Amino acid sequence: MLAVIRVLLGALLLAQTVGGANRPKYGGTLRVELYAGSFSLDPREWKAGSIRAAEDEKLAALVYDRLVTLDDYGRFQPALATEWSHDTAGKIWQFKLRPGVKFSNGSPLTPSDVANALQRLLPPPLEVLPGENGLTIRASHPVPDLLEQLASGRCFVFRRNPDGTLLGTGPFYLAENIPAQPAEANPAAPKPAHLKFRANEEAWAGRPFLDAVEVTLGAPGLRQILDLQVGRADLVEIAPDLVRKARQDDLRVWSSAPATLLALRFDNSQHAASDDRLREALELALDRGTMANVLLQREAQPASALLPQWLTGYAFLFGSPMNLNRAREIRVSLPATEAGSAEPLRLRVDAPGDLMKLLGERVAVNARQASLTVQVVQHAANPPTPGNPNPAAAGLHLIAWHYDSLSARAELEALVSQLFEPEAGNAVPSNVDPERLYAEERRLLEHRQLLPLVVLPDYVGIGPAVRNWSPAPWGEWRLADVWLEAGESTTSGAPGESSGTSAKDRAPGVRP
Amino acid sequence: MFLAIAVRAVAADTNSLADATKLLAERVVSIPNLHGPLRLEFAAGEGLAPSPGKAWQESFKKELEARHVSLTEDPAAPPLRIAVTATPTQWILAATVRSADHDELRLVSVPRASIGPAALPAAPLRIERQLVFESPERVLDASSLSNLSEAGIALLAYRNAELTALELDAAGTVKQSVPIVVADSRPSRDPRGELSAQGTNVDVLLPSKICSFGWASAGEVKCRSAKPVWRGATVLTPPCDPAGWKLVSDGRDWTAPEVLQVVPVGLTREGSAAILSELPGPILNVNGEQNPASALVVTRNLHSGNYEVYRITLACGN
Repeated sequence: MLAVIRVLLGALLLAQTVGGANRPKYGGTLRVELYAGSFSLDPREWKAGSIRAAEDEKLAALVYDRLVTLDDYGRFQPALATEWSHDTAGKIWQFKLRPGVKFSNGSPLTPSDVANALQRLLPPPLEVLPGENGLTIRASHPVPDLLEQLASGRCFVFRRNPDGTLLGTGPFYLAENIPAQPAEANPAAPKPAHLKFRANEEAWAGRPFLDAVEVTLGAPGLRQILDLQVGRADLVEIAPDLVRKARQDDLRVWSSAPATLLALRFDNSQHAASDDRLREALELALDRGTMANVLLQREAQPASALLPQWLTGYAFLFGSPMNLNRAREIRVSLPATEAGSAEPLRLRVDAPGDLMKLLGERVAVNARQASLTVQVVQHAANPPTPGNPNPAAAGLHLIAWHYDSLSARAELEALVSQLFEPEAGNAVPSNVDPERLYAEERRLLEHRQLLPLVVLPDYVGIGPAVRNWSPAPWGEWRLADVWLEAGESTTSGAPGESSGTSAKDRAPGVRP
Repeated sequence: MFLAIAVRAVAADTNSLADATKLLAERVVSIPNLHGPLRLEFAAGEGLAPSPGKAWQESFKKELEARHVSLTEDPAAPPLRIAVTATPTQWILAATVRSADHDELRLVSVPRASIGPAALPAAPLRIERQLVFESPERVLDASSLSNLSEAGIALLAYRNAELTALELDAAGTVKQSVPIVVADSRPSRDPRGELSAQGTNVDVLLPSKICSFGWASAGEVKCRSAKPVWRGATVLTPPCDPAGWKLVSDGRDWTAPEVLQVVPVGLTREGSAAILSELPGPILNVNGEQNPASALVVTRNLHSGNYEVYRITLACGN
């Protein structure tokens, strides 16, 4: 009984007086580790659907703003635009810009800056015209999903200086960029690239709570988990195959809605890959449930659609197509040479990582159950040479596609333009009617150029000092709203190990 | 012609759940060769937000019946499957039914922002409290205007880096809006301000200023530099316990619902008699009312994203 009272008493002593205890703390440096070894803050250089672009977008969100944002409750919120309106057809949109916004170098943001940035980032039929206090976006057809496009993906507002540097109005600015360097002690293990973003004191939405965000690039997965455990990092990416370990180690793990599609893509480099019946047989043989639940330890979801459920709301209507008996029947009707042992269907693993290789091997196992021979080849295993420019043409590719738009229509359009043959992809509807999008997605799936396998969330490990971690379900980190709690971070590593940040840097400062 | 759509512009088939419900019923009825009776099945759709609950299911059933669709609970009857899912901006209502030799599908969308929290399943309240105001606008503080329970309240709101004091009547209608323009103020991610309303006079405490005005002469807001003395612990005194109870919270940041604890003042009594009230989000501010047994609590509902003001009253015997 005494023990119970002590516990209750302890809990109540920990409780804080209302009205100030949970107010944000200003100051400190958030230490982030990412897989990517390099970065680009120029949204025009980002390749749609790439994992790299998704990481670049996270960094860009530190230094740039958007015209509008989307909150977690389905409401568009003003950002650089304070008001907007459109004509009844949805072809002409007018945006009023927030007055008094400055870039991180102190120069004012103008409507021309916004127009110059967005004109290069929005699809070509959209025309962006600066006005006196705002801008107009025109199109020849209705653009009902313009706000979704502006609130996501690469639609950041930035200015390119004559010297090539890029400026933003966001909560931080890039203060240091130290490229990867060979280590003196061990040249084979270079020092990773390092970025430091400092708080923009004049940010229009208010100074961020953090003084700075330090980013280490090119950090391997296990190293990131170790750094989080010993207090050398506050925020790390966690690969799906390491999530279970992180949870077993009692680390705080956050996951987004499914953000990456892993899929098989046929091309015509091998004759067999263009045979519709072979594509169907392989699709029917794929055991997506085992891939998600066993191979990926339930950290992924089986995928039967091109776009995820959270983005379309209708993906659940595409049932699992697995039917091994039917796959075998089709196989019997195919020429024995197609995907036979003498001429296997070569599967090239385009995305990096051991996990992708394992997934490729699982595809080969599934195919074998339908008497189809699939040979897995690594992307860099057999490079072309002058005498053999196409040494191992692969008719099948294992690819990764990262979703980055909040518009299902725009995402489908981007995916089709990048991954489908031109004749398959010219019919993505311009309107956002879910029934028409569903019909189009069904048509594309029946084309079987792309066979979805699984969808993976983004996983993030979060240190004990991180507060107000409130990312969007679709993966935006929103680091400007994060603060650090003093005294909860294990900032010092093991004896002899260097810490990324000094204790002085990490002490919360005073409110500006 | 331009439509004024400051915040809620979302492309969708309809702009309200009621309209979407009717439209879905109409589109189901228009499916060719649809023969009843049908067995209505509601699936728990995956999505980014909780789906509309039982009340919506009943309203959809009534819309079908109004269109003479024959429904049955016979398990052998062909199913009409209904699912509601959420995307980042929309609710998607999906109906699938077998017609002739194939499945027919009908989809209808409605903006998520158009559905208020009342249509969503609500968390049960643990203790007595009264919701007196809610708004998508950020609310920093609330203050009662008199000790009469039917009197209105004053609010301090923050939008687009601008402060506004609002006078509301007892029904929650805005009677008056007073911009608080402070020279040399800087936008903040943690805007802080406290209202103190005494009679018709109002003081607004800001990090480095105190602004004063009267509701009768609202155009004249006078600010002076001053170091504010922020409110301390709120102590409530119910009629049956003159010793007082204080409000404490367990919140660490703004991402989780908070449990408001009302505990007796004085360490010696804290272990035994805490009263808990689970709020739908973090507690942002608490302001005692003229009634010593009640206080206004500002929170942000994490289900709806709205800012809400509750009146907490310590009543004896409840």
